[in-house]
Order: sequence, then C-alpha cells, then structure tokens
Amino acid sequence: MRTSVKKLVTAVSTSVALMGAGHAAAEIQIGIAGPMTGPVAQYGDMQFSGARMAIEQINANGGVMGEELVAVEYDDVCDPKQAVTVANSLVNDGVQFVIGHLCSSSTQPASDIYEDEGILMVTPASTSPEITERGYELVFRTIGLDSMQGPVAAQYIAAQSPERVAIVHDKQQYGEGIATAVRDTLKDAGVEIAMFEGITAGDKDFSSLVTKLKQADVDYVYYGGYHPELGLILRQARSADLDARFMGPEGVGNKDINTIAGEAAEGLLVTLPPAFDQKAENQALVKAFEDKGEDPSGPFVLTSYTAVQLIAEGIEAADSSDPFDVAAALRDGTYQTPIGTVEYDKAGDMKSFEFVVYEWHSDGSKTPVN
Amino acid sequence: MAANNFRHALFCAIITLIISYPIIGFNLEAQGINVMLTGADTGTVVMVLLAAVMVFLFQLFREQIMGALRSVPNPLPQSSKEPMAENRRAKIESWVLTGIVILALFWPFFVSRGSVDLATLVLIYVMLALGLNVVVGLAGLLDLGYVAFYAVGAYTFALLSQYTGISFWLALPIGALLAALFGLVLGFPVLRLRGDYLAIVTLGFGEIIRILLNNWTTLTGGPNGIGGIPDPTLFGMEFGRRVKEEGNTSFHETFGIAYSGEHKVIFLYLIALVLAVFTALVIRRFMRMPVGRAWEALREDEIAARSLGLSRTAVKLSAFTIGAFFAGFAGTVFASKQGFISPESFVFLESAIILAIVVLGGMGSQIGVVLAAIAVTILPELAREFSEYRMLIFGAAMVLMMVWRPQGLMPMRRIHIELKKQE
Amino acid sequence: MQDLLYFFQQLINGLTIGSTYALIAIGYTMVYGIIGMINFAHGEIYMIGAYTALIAITGLTALGVAWLPLILIVALVCAMIVSSSMGWAVERVAYRPVRGRHRLIPLISAIGMSIFLQNYVHLAQGSRNIGFPSLIDGGFNFGSGEGFQMSLSYMQITIFITTLICMTALSLFISRSRTGRACRAVSQDLGMANLLGIDTNRIISATFVIGAALAAVAGLLLGMYYGSVDPLFGFIAGLKAFTAAVLGGIGSIPGAMLGGLILGVAESMTSGYLSGEYKDVISFSLLILILLFKPTGLLGKPEVEKI
Repeated sequence: MRTSVKKLVTAVSTSVALMGAGHAAAEIQIGIAGPMTGPVAQYGDMQFSGARMAIEQINANGGVMGEELVAVEYDDVCDPKQAVTVANSLVNDGVQFVIGHLCSSSTQPASDIYEDEGILMVTPASTSPEITERGYELVFRTIGLDSMQGPVAAQYIAAQSPERVAIVHDKQQYGEGIATAVRDTLKDAGVEIAMFEGITAGDKDFSSLVTKLKQADVDYVYYGGYHPELGLILRQARSADLDARFMGPEGVGNKDINTIAGEAAEGLLVTLPPAFDQKAENQALVKAFEDKGEDPSGPFVLTSYTAVQLIAEGIEAADSSDPFDVAAALRDGTYQTPIGTVEYDKAGDMKSFEFVVYEWHSDGSKTPVN
Repeated sequence: MAANNFRHALFCAIITLIISYPIIGFNLEAQGINVMLTGADTGTVVMVLLAAVMVFLFQLFREQIMGALRSVPNPLPQSSKEPMAENRRAKIESWVLTGIVILALFWPFFVSRGSVDLATLVLIYVMLALGLNVVVGLAGLLDLGYVAFYAVGAYTFALLSQYTGISFWLALPIGALLAALFGLVLGFPVLRLRGDYLAIVTLGFGEIIRILLNNWTTLTGGPNGIGGIPDPTLFGMEFGRRVKEEGNTSFHETFGIAYSGEHKVIFLYLIALVLAVFTALVIRRFMRMPVGRAWEALREDEIAARSLGLSRTAVKLSAFTIGAFFAGFAGTVFASKQGFISPESFVFLESAIILAIVVLGGMGSQIGVVLAAIAVTILPELAREFSEYRMLIFGAAMVLMMVWRPQGLMPMRRIHIELKKQE
Repeated sequence: MQDLLYFFQQLINGLTIGSTYALIAIGYTMVYGIIGMINFAHGEIYMIGAYTALIAITGLTALGVAWLPLILIVALVCAMIVSSSMGWAVERVAYRPVRGRHRLIPLISAIGMSIFLQNYVHLAQGSRNIGFPSLIDGGFNFGSGEGFQMSLSYMQITIFITTLICMTALSLFISRSRTGRACRAVSQDLGMANLLGIDTNRIISATFVIGAALAAVAGLLLGMYYGSVDPLFGFIAGLKAFTAAVLGGIGSIPGAMLGGLILGVAESMTSGYLSGEYKDVISFSLLILILLFKPTGLLGKPEVEKI
C-alpha cells in the first residue's frame, strides 16, 4: 500500500517535471535520487519526504527568484550500478541540482558524473569521508562524516576510563569507517583495545562473538554498523550474561532495534545528530510534517529538507542558477537552517556538525547522556 | 474417477490456501517497539481465495484443459519444421546481425544520454551472458560463481590503474587474461566433479572471492572499494572536461568542438559494442571449431564423448577458461564505466541474473541471449513498478522455462541427420 | 581452566548451531538420496517455516494466550503444516515435470524456485529484519565467580533435545514403517521400486514433506535462538546445511547429523579463535575440499557411475 502511494507521487512529480519541460524558464529542477525500493528503502523514504516538504514550502512562499522548484525523482535502490544510470538520466533531464544519494557507495560513483557535468550535489545522508576528499567543487553534504562521529563516541568511552574496549564492525563502508575512527581516537587516548573484529552483515549467529567478548572481559563494546546485527548481538549477549556496555553510531538508532533486542536494548549508547525535530524553532516545520502524516524524526528528514533549502538560498545569494556560482555562494555564506547554522569548508563539508551521545531505552525512547 | 479427481482438486486448492494465506494474508509490522500482526486488506484476501478457486477449477478440468491446449496448433511452427539448411540459416543470421550492429553503431547519436548509458550496461550483460553461455549452454557446466571472474576483471583494472596508472586499453587484455587464468586454476581441480556438485562448488568460490575482496582491506580497499578508475582514452585523448593525466590531450580541444559529457558516454558505449561484437564473433568461431563440437558432445552424453576419445578435463577446462576470459572483459568495461567499484557489485544475485539471461535466451543460442539481456536489463527501467517484482518474475520464469521450454526462447538449432524410421 | 571453559563454551555454541544445520540438512540428504537432485529451494522453505512460526506466535500473543507450551506447540504445528505444504507444492510444480531430464534442468528449476520464494516472502512481508520474541529465557552457569563463566541456556538445551527427538523419530520411521521401507527401496532403485508396486510419486512427495517439516522445526528453534527473521536468511542457512549434508555423505541420515555438528563446531571455532569474518570462507572451503577429495562424504556410500 505504502509503495503504491509512493509510486503515485513519483509518477505525478515526474509528469509535472515533463510538463514543465516546455516552459523551462520559469522553474528550477531539483533532482532527488535515493532508494525508493530495496533493503534500505525506509531511509530513502525519509530523504524523499524531507526534500518534498522543502520544495512545497519554498514554492508556497513564491519560489526562488520568482521561479518554481520542481522535483525530479529517481530510484537508485542503493545499488552503485543503478546510481550511475540515475546520474546519467539526471544529466539527460537537464537537472542542475541534485539531492542525493543516500548510500555512500552510490553517492561516490554518481558524484564523479555530477562533477564532470557541472551539477551541484548535496547529499543528506552519505557519511563516507572519501566523498569530499577528492577536491570536487560541486559536492556538498548536510550530514557529518564518519570521521567526526567516531571521535565523539570514542571520547565519550575514554571519559568513562574503561579498562578494556572491544570494537566490532560489519565489514561495510559505513560500519568499518566509523569503527576505524573510534579505534584511532581510543588509541590516542591510551585506552586498551582488546579486540577489533569484523562480522558478516546479514549473519544471525553471534554466539561465538559474544563468547569471545566475554572472554576478553571488556567494559565497552563499540559496534560500527546497522541495527539488524547489533540488535541480535545485544540479545545474544544478554542471554549469555555478557556484562558490557554497548555503543553504536546513528545507523543503530532506530526503533527497529527494540523489536529485535527487546529488553536488551536498554542502556545502549548511540551517537546521533541532535534531534532536530525536538528543537523549539523547528516546531512549525514538525507540525507541517505531522499534518501530512509523515514522521519528521528520522535522521535524514531534516537534513534533506536543509539540502533543498541551502540550494534555494545559495541560488538567491549568488543571484544566479549556475551551479558553480551557487557552489561559491554556499562556501562563502553562513546559512540558518533547521539543522542549525551551516558554514561550508573548501571540501564541501560543514565546518561543524554536532553529534550527541544518547542513551537508548527498551521502550524506544532516548535521553541525552551529557 | 470423477470423485478422485474432485478430491485431488480440492486438496490442491487447500494447499494453495495454506501456502499463500498465512504469508500474504498476515503482515508482521514493527509498530514502535512491538511487532504487530495486521490482516491484509480485503482485496488481497479475495485474490488469495480467487487463486485457490482457480487452482481448484484447473485441477478439476485438467484433462479437458490440457486436451484443448494440445489441439491448438503450435504457435511456433518452426519448432516442428525441419531446420533450414545450415549455410542458408547462417547467412540470414549474419545479415540480420550485421544490420543490428550497424543500427547500434549510429543509434546513440540520436537518443538521450540516459539511454546510451543503459545500453552500455546492456552490452556488459550481453558480454557476460555470452561468456556464461559457453560454460552453461554449450558445455553444460552449471557455474553459479561466474560473477567471481567478472570481479577479477574489474578489480584487475582498478588495482593496476591505482598502483601503476595503467590505461584502459592495456588493462583490457590483462584483466581478461587474468580472469581466464583464474578460471583455469579454479577449474582444474573442480571440473571432475559431477554437474550439481560443480554448481555448489562454483557458488562457494564466488562467495570466497567476494569475501576476500571485502576483507583484504590493505589491497582492495575492502568495503570502501576503489575509486578514481580512469575512463578509456582514444589515442591519448581524454573525454573529461579537464585532462587528468600528463601527456594526454582532451578530445573536445583536439577537434575544436564544445565540451559535452555525451562524448564520453557514447565512446564507452561504442567500446562496449565493439567488445560485445568481438565476443560474439569469437564464440561463434569457437562453436564451429572442433572444440565447440566437443563441448556439446560432452554436454549431451559425457560417457559417449569420452569413449570417443575426448579428454573430459581438457574440453571442460577450455569452456570454463573461455567463459572466464569474457567475464574479465566485461569486468574491465564495467570498472571503467562506473569509475568506482566495491565488492557489493559482485554478489551472488548478479550471478543469478546472468544465469537467468542465459536460461531465458535459450541455452546455447546467441541471438536469444542478446535479446534476453536486453529484456532483463531494460524492462525494470521501463516499468518502475516492475522492478520490485523483477526477481520474483525471474525466478518464476526460470522454473517455467525449464518445465515448458528448456531449450529457451530461441533455441540453437543445428542441422542434423535423423535416421529414417523403419517401416 | 579459563581457556578450557572458553573452549567448551565455543563447543556448545557450535553444537547448537550444528544440530539445527543437521535438521535442515535432512531435507537435502533425503531428496538427493531418492531422486539425485539438489533441492535448492529448501533453505527458503526453512525461512518460510520461521516466518509462519513468528506469525503464529504474534497472533496468539495478540489474542491474549500466555501459556508458553500452548504457544510453542501451536507455532510448531502451524510452521510444519505451512512448510510441508510448501515442500509438497514445490516438488509438484517445479520438480516433478522436469524429473528424468538432463541433470542441469531440475537444478536450474530449483534455483528459479529459490529466487521465487525469497521474493515471494520479501514482497509479502517486506525486507526488514523482524524481531522474534525469546520465549525461553535463562540457563545454567558454570565457572568460578570471577573470570569467565560458561553458560548453557535453556534454549540451547531445547535445541539439542528437539533435534535428538526428531532424528530418532526419523530413523525409526525410515527403518520400521512401511513408508520408510518404501523410501529406502525407492532410493536404491526408483525404476525397480515402481515395478514392485510402490507408488514412487507418493514416496517422493513424502520425502519433500518430511524434509520440509523438519526444516520448519529448525525455523522455529533458530528464530527463537537468534532473535530475528528476514527473507534472505534461508539462502545462506540452506547452503550451510547442504554443506553439512555433503560433509556427512549425501543420502545418509546419520551423516547429515554428523556433518551438521562438525560444520557448526568448525564455524564456531573459527569465530572463536580466528575471526568471524572468515567463518563463511572456512565453511565453503571445507565443502570444496570434501567434494574434491572425498565426494562421498564421511558416511556416504561410494557411488558407481552407471552407464
């Protein structure tokens, strides 16, 4: 049912885009590329709902420099191969601004094409440092990096002065990236790392791993990866009486972890971007989402909203819809957005992106720790 | 008899209900922190009931329906006709193929960039499927880890370009040869296994190679993959906006035309086209050569072929190696097209898709494989609704093809002499 | 002492996983023994069993049933009925029409079926991991107060005992009952059994149904033990179980048990003493080595190539 609504929306917005193609002067196309289907479609939903909301609100306020924003949406299924096809289709449609992609492994090959074709890309979700390391001019993001999030977690762990820490990751770009950052920071802080080990994503049996953690007698376990595996590890650790505190990145901070881990999720530490939907100044926006029947609390909803808003404000600041001018304007200016004050460095990363340590509870709620 | 039939039909209908209603009729949904069970909407329930009724009716009137079907004239009359004389058939086929290739050569200049890019992907699948066709279709060896050789080709180019700055044109033969070498080395011990064991072992090899690529972080970058893979150049001319490598010139400056990203996409497409045609021609050649006949002989009857003095290992190994060679080819083109590769592009599902193409195209037939590659790659792009159902349909199609038409949509037909029936 | 306890803990972990591999492996081994084909879709049948059990448990909990044995029995029965029907239907639709054709054809049909079933559940239930309630909590602890404690949970004991019961029942069934004798006859020589008046189609169907029912038992047990289900987890489990079947000698029921236990322990020791990343590499390598050097497995009978 949900998917058919999604398809309808896609169909309508694409047909709007096609109809608009005739009188192109009066509008600016915003490409939105992310997974509508596939295993991570739930994160894609957040991206699309945030970006659509921003486009609607900007248009309701008279558009950008008198021109209307039009969404052009594509599904990349978070598959690198499809992402390249989507990128080429966006080039083809004459789109000059793209919100996307979601998965780092899709964003990376797609950004090569955007940079070559002079398209400005803002990713609201890809956290791999490599994306902005290549000196590209037109690549931005509205989310922090793995290399920012890891140290926050590591500093928290180090501050508790644990005796021994284990680091486990799922051997994927995201998980291993963060886990490595955590390890490096902990090492600098002089904490003993008892274990640094990968698991297989999609595996279900972690009894051996849990036994190993028990044997290593660790106080803290940092897990780099997503919730399905950590949920199982937590649960199997609990039934084996492993006495250690677990911590994970925002990929595990999802209510689904409670359905898997149950009671064992109590006390899990999670580094998350601050809950933007809890901020007082965003309440009007939150209400707009709720009126539409959408949930603004997902980690990528407001970052996507911000991505669209930044492009709109960048165009106005540059007084031009040329992506290179807009990129320059984004680098120069300071912008007030739902995710806070945004300033960009040369690489296209935000100068500051805050991560907060939360404690997760077995009823799916969370409380800030510090 | 009728009562028996009725009982059987009722049984089948009940089984249909049992296997579909619990899974389709109830949805497990995470609501907050609890898993809830929600009933599906009435439409779905009605559909499930309808399916059961249809099964019931079909089983009840099975005899009549099958009889009616049999009396309908065969929609593909050629399958009952004598095959055309081989030389005439080959002539027609080569004319048609030449026509298609010429069309394909000029086509990209008139269509959109997205379509050209998609067509490049289709051509990569064509290469892969043609290669796998040699192994599965001609030699009758079920290889479920074909994607490993594809990965070898892609990673060879990526690694060589990263560490030695090699160009696409040099990497192409190296990647293909290295993949062939892998095929040879892996094939040597396993090819004496029987068909179904071979399938499992190749599947295992495919997974092992992927896991190694993922875990060997120092060399392959692990899950981070390898980026910055260069595009192919045309006699030292690059297609990017800026020249990336010393000593190269850029295509648009050399010819004094405005820069357009389309040049690169079209150039890649043309390379893929040439390579796909090359693959098809080479394999056609092989099929006519003694080794090609030997593949088929071994597929049809291993014991008879061996008794005629064919070396089982040599024949199988040649098919395996040649198949791997073309997978390496396709891998190099894929790496160049993507500019970034990571192990997640080489999962088992990819092997399954390539196998589906070969099976749907008719094992052994080249035109069939090309058509199937086009259908399998483009259909999900044309109909987005279809893409969710894509694998479901592939699976069902594989079963149905095996049940009804194991020789495929366009079976390979060879002239053969049939013994006259003794009156 | 510490190290010894650690070793025993890993051994228990391995034996637990191994005994469920054995339950799934029965389905492969029996089918292969009788019609000589790999039922690739068997892992999916196991996955469907786990889903059905979860649906039944969630439904019963929603209805307010709280008596644990009742929940478990109803879930088990539901899972077995749905899985067996699935096994029967799969054989009927995808395997019977192609029986007796070239070896590759049933195999490809089976792969198609596996892909189909995976996506069937994926479309009906979504691709998310869904949590499976842990109904049996607690366990025994061994070891001194400080340092490493070995634990043996009630869940693990349940898995051992259930597997043992199923295996014993199956062995008795095969050796004593009329259908069991017919099964053995069919696996010896299908044509001859047919001539002697055994309804071979019925026996083959029965094989699929029995294998599927045992897979459903494994589905329920593993669902509870691990804690979540998703549409893809049957495939890898099926592959592992197949490895176990080959390891023990395909066609042999005690072999499946032995193979499952060895594989489970090998995996557990790899994760325990090396690294979890290489767990799958070890089990696949084990499979390849066995197939290369002893294709008949540990307890299998040597097969003579028939002309």
